[in-house]
Amino acid sequence: MTTETLEPPSLAEPTNKRGFNVRTLSLVGLLVVIAVTFHFLSGGLFLSARNLYNLVVQTSVVAILACGMTLVIVTRNIDLSVGSVLGCVGMVIALLQIEIFPQDAAWNWPLTVAIGIGLGALIGAWHGVWIAYFGVPSFVVTLGGLLIFRGAAFEVAQGKTLAPFDPVYRLFGGGIDGALGVGPSWALFAIIMVLYGLGEVLVHRRQMRLGFDSTVRTKLLRFLAVFVVAAAFVATMNSYMKPRSDIGRGIPVPALVLLSVVLFMEFVTRFTTFGRYIFAIGGNIEAARLNGIPTRRTVLKVFIAMGVLCAIAAVVTTARLNAGTSSTGELLELSAIAAAVIGGASLSGGRGTIAGAVVGALIIQSLESGMVLIGASSSQRMVAIGLVLMVAVLADKYLSGEE
Amino acid sequence: MKRRSVMSLLAGLSLSALMTAPALAADITVGMSWANYQEERWKIDESGLRAGLEEAGAELVTADAQSSNERQASDIDGLLARGVDVLLIVAWDSEAIIPSVERALAEGVPVIAYERQIEYPGVYYVAFDPVEVGRIQARELVRAQPKGDYVIIKGSPTDQYAHYVLTGQKEIIDPLIANGDITIVGEQWTDGWVPDNAQKNMENILTAVNDKVDAVLASNDGTAGGVVAALTSVGLEGIPVSGQDGDIAALNRIALGTQTVTAWKDARELGRLGAKVALELAKGTAPEDIEGSVVWDKGPKGTAQNASVLAPVTITHENLDVVVDADWISKEDLCAGVTENAPAACN
Repeated sequence: MTTETLEPPSLAEPTNKRGFNVRTLSLVGLLVVIAVTFHFLSGGLFLSARNLYNLVVQTSVVAILACGMTLVIVTRNIDLSVGSVLGCVGMVIALLQIEIFPQDAAWNWPLTVAIGIGLGALIGAWHGVWIAYFGVPSFVVTLGGLLIFRGAAFEVAQGKTLAPFDPVYRLFGGGIDGALGVGPSWALFAIIMVLYGLGEVLVHRRQMRLGFDSTVRTKLLRFLAVFVVAAAFVATMNSYMKPRSDIGRGIPVPALVLLSVVLFMEFVTRFTTFGRYIFAIGGNIEAARLNGIPTRRTVLKVFIAMGVLCAIAAVVTTARLNAGTSSTGELLELSAIAAAVIGGASLSGGRGTIAGAVVGALIIQSLESGMVLIGASSSQRMVAIGLVLMVAVLADKYLSGEE
Repeated sequence: MKRRSVMSLLAGLSLSALMTAPALAADITVGMSWANYQEERWKIDESGLRAGLEEAGAELVTADAQSSNERQASDIDGLLARGVDVLLIVAWDSEAIIPSVERALAEGVPVIAYERQIEYPGVYYVAFDPVEVGRIQARELVRAQPKGDYVIIKGSPTDQYAHYVLTGQKEIIDPLIANGDITIVGEQWTDGWVPDNAQKNMENILTAVNDKVDAVLASNDGTAGGVVAALTSVGLEGIPVSGQDGDIAALNRIALGTQTVTAWKDARELGRLGAKVALELAKGTAPEDIEGSVVWDKGPKGTAQNASVLAPVTITHENLDVVVDADWISKEDLCAGVTENAPAACN
């Protein structure tokens, strides 16, 4: 893949005079409102280091899925099977790691993770072929997938719960030892900030050379904003102590997994031709095809990516629970779709951002966690999340100036 | 009377006038309509049912509705056409099944609702007592932790079974709440009984009460797994936690000391009980005269039915040998990772 395009993918997105994405900013605003409201309602619990740590870990699975779901939705498709695929891959990993391979072998967990990711890609390709090459609507194909892979998840071990996982594998779940620690968290922060700064400088110089309108002030402001938020995040994660000790936990491993996924997906959507193809197909598939874009292969690849992300999410979920169960991931497809849509992905295609999807997932999980903190029941949570979903999409419609 | 036994009686009479008993067990055909035989546990039920019937020389014919109301209705028509003397049903939908139940009763075939209640007058109910499950959980937790802050992780709010379990839990702890020994500091339903949901709820409750939790009433072994994972991440593993089903993973947790109790339901025993009741009813014994028969009226509609309920077995650290001796779990699976404070079953 070459980096032949330079216009940001948010070209069609409304930006304010400083060049910020209005839509993403308004979502962050909504998140802040929700957080502050729950902070007061819960008597100061919501914004505690401990709750924020939990929130990050709890959000990671839905956020990973929502990243893939955004791409799927951008190509005017849908994937209803993600929860089932996650459950099925999780069970296969559990079966191999716990029942089939020798438990004490060092190669056991890396091999099972690799097989799981391969299986995820294969399932994604299976869906993709039906959708892109056989022309069956994605709603139907993935509805079939929802049933097939939930059934398969049961068949893998005849509904048994498999436990326990390898201690190293469990780190992916962010349990008691599943965080970086204080020092490495700051080190990682420093490395990412340096790379990010260098990247901005390089892009700026290239844009100047090619005659694009690019202001130093906007970039500097954006860098500072990211710097402050990231530093606050690391400091918060570091201030949540391990039980009965004064050892800070640091960035949880699931958050690192999510961060890697987000950075990779941002890169793909912004800087690769494949990324541009995805948006072009969603805008107008016929026009895209006439322009020589390999529409079928692109859709196939999007579903393969979705399958791989399901497998990654399966690793985090099973490691977190320290068990493989056939019901793992049930109804997660709804959270993933809701997160992508709240995050600004348009079901009519062509529009959506990775960052938005992550913020969307954070909004959903904030509502879930916040309402448990104030003692609300699961039925009340469902009502609240349903309302926020609708309001967020309505607000998005007005902000984007659609009629 | 039952069509088939009358017919076989006639056939018998033509051969030998000595046959005078109303129906010998050897003449009885028992029909079983499964809701979804794919689920692992029903194979275990069937082994008990078949064993109980074979000992008496009765025949078992089965049909699997594969999670479909329509198929279950036609399955039951088919079983009735085959002339079964008594019909056991695991209802896929306990309301949609009622027309089929009416047909069977109209033909004079006794109907037994097996494990899943069918609230209809005249239907016999055979099941593990779900209320007792809740009592067992609460009783063992109170034994381990008589006073303190309790959390209740309930089952799926849309499942009647979860409500029965909660009823049993409340029977035991409500008096202790009233006298101030126990305080409920958090309670949440678990959508779909999904362990991941239980884990998230438990994490958030722990945050809300700043880890001040002394015991957790989890409603089954799946949710208990989520609870223990949440407790482990804050270093609280080892406080009393309940469960039910006797999952392999849960029994291992009991051996390790991270779970206190599971209400174990040996499906083979229920199968044998089903066989016993079916044979009695087929022989014409009045439902209320069956040994151990009780009147069950705790369903949502409050219909009074004759029932035989089986008490689940309380499994704790002390009696883990019960599940090993019953070949429910291998010693290797039970004792995986157990080092200190090993239960007797692991020695």
